[in-house]
Amino acid sequence: MIYQYIGLAIGIIGIIITFLRFKNGKMSLNMVLVWSVIWILLIVFSIYPDTTSLLASVTGIGRGLDLILIIGLIGCYYFIFRIYNLIENVEEEITALVREIALERGQSRDAEVKNPPEKDNDPDTE
Amino acid sequence: MKAPENHEDLLKKQKDLLKKQKGIYVILPAYNEEKTIKDVMEELVGLGVNLLVVDDGSIDHTYHVSRGFLEKYPSQVSLYRHPLNRGLGGALRTGIEAALQKKASIIVTFDADGQHHSLDIIPLCLPIIKGDADVVIGKRNFQEMPFRKKFGNVVMNIITLIFYGKNVEDSQSGLRAFSRKAASLMELHSRDYGVSSEIVGEVSRHHLQLLEVPITTIYTDYSLSKGTNTKVGLKILAKLIRDVFK
Repeated sequence: MIYQYIGLAIGIIGIIITFLRFKNGKMSLNMVLVWSVIWILLIVFSIYPDTTSLLASVTGIGRGLDLILIIGLIGCYYFIFRIYNLIENVEEEITALVREIALERGQSRDAEVKNPPEKDNDPDTE
Repeated sequence: MKAPENHEDLLKKQKDLLKKQKGIYVILPAYNEEKTIKDVMEELVGLGVNLLVVDDGSIDHTYHVSRGFLEKYPSQVSLYRHPLNRGLGGALRTGIEAALQKKASIIVTFDADGQHHSLDIIPLCLPIIKGDADVVIGKRNFQEMPFRKKFGNVVMNIITLIFYGKNVEDSQSGLRAFSRKAASLMELHSRDYGVSSEIVGEVSRHHLQLLEVPITTIYTDYSLSKGTNTKVGLKILAKLIRDVFK
């Protein structure tokens, strides 16, 4: 079946990208494990589609494909939630940084009011 | 400056009292307010209070206008610039921190869009000077408020009550005064307009004495286009719900 080849190909590409990103230090080990499991499951389900039916009957969900879709959807939401929180944290850090910069520059300005503060190009070494 | 005529003597006394208070710092968070900030600053400088402008990454001439004042009144005005826009909450926190560094005894927050009457600072500061309150919020008259605004503000009061367990008459007012103690206790995380509700929450968390005094609000088309409307209210709600699940 053609979908089996497609699934297999996507799984292998996924694993390669995951490992490359880890090698370049762009991914933590935890994330490598999570993603590896996801890709390996994709490969297994592609090669042996019947395993999904087995899992489906174990969990009580009618069809194998339904189970995969449900798990996939939940997984997606989980990742969106994680990314959302991550962005929030980054925003918070940027705000803290901006505050720090503003306070530092503002203070030195008290002393040297006359210096022209053209927007970004004053290094303000105290 | 249009205060009731028959109170003129009292007003003068209060003004003198205000001038004697060296430690009053008024924080002006400003994001693209070049049209209004000049008048606002002029009025406040005239009152004799210290000004702390936080330019929140404006892309207009807010910074240059404020800098003009800094040069004119270097002892009264300080200016801080966020290199990036971080929202009202971020600007207020910068202002509060700066004021605390400057050993402020009373910290006032004041909107730079010209909707507040500068003399309203006096009734706001008096309870703190007398020791009757730690935090004073200037409550706007909801009767005079246009419906669109009123709706958003009433909703925000309810949300503030639900999430922070404190019922206040105007949770979203931009005119507030803090004692030094209260300001140093505030732990604010919100970056946007949600900061107003968060302040109320911090007041109740630290069991601070809160007072609400009536203030006058000057509604212009310009100030109406800013601040709490329904859309902002919904955004704040989403953020508050998220904070609960965090």
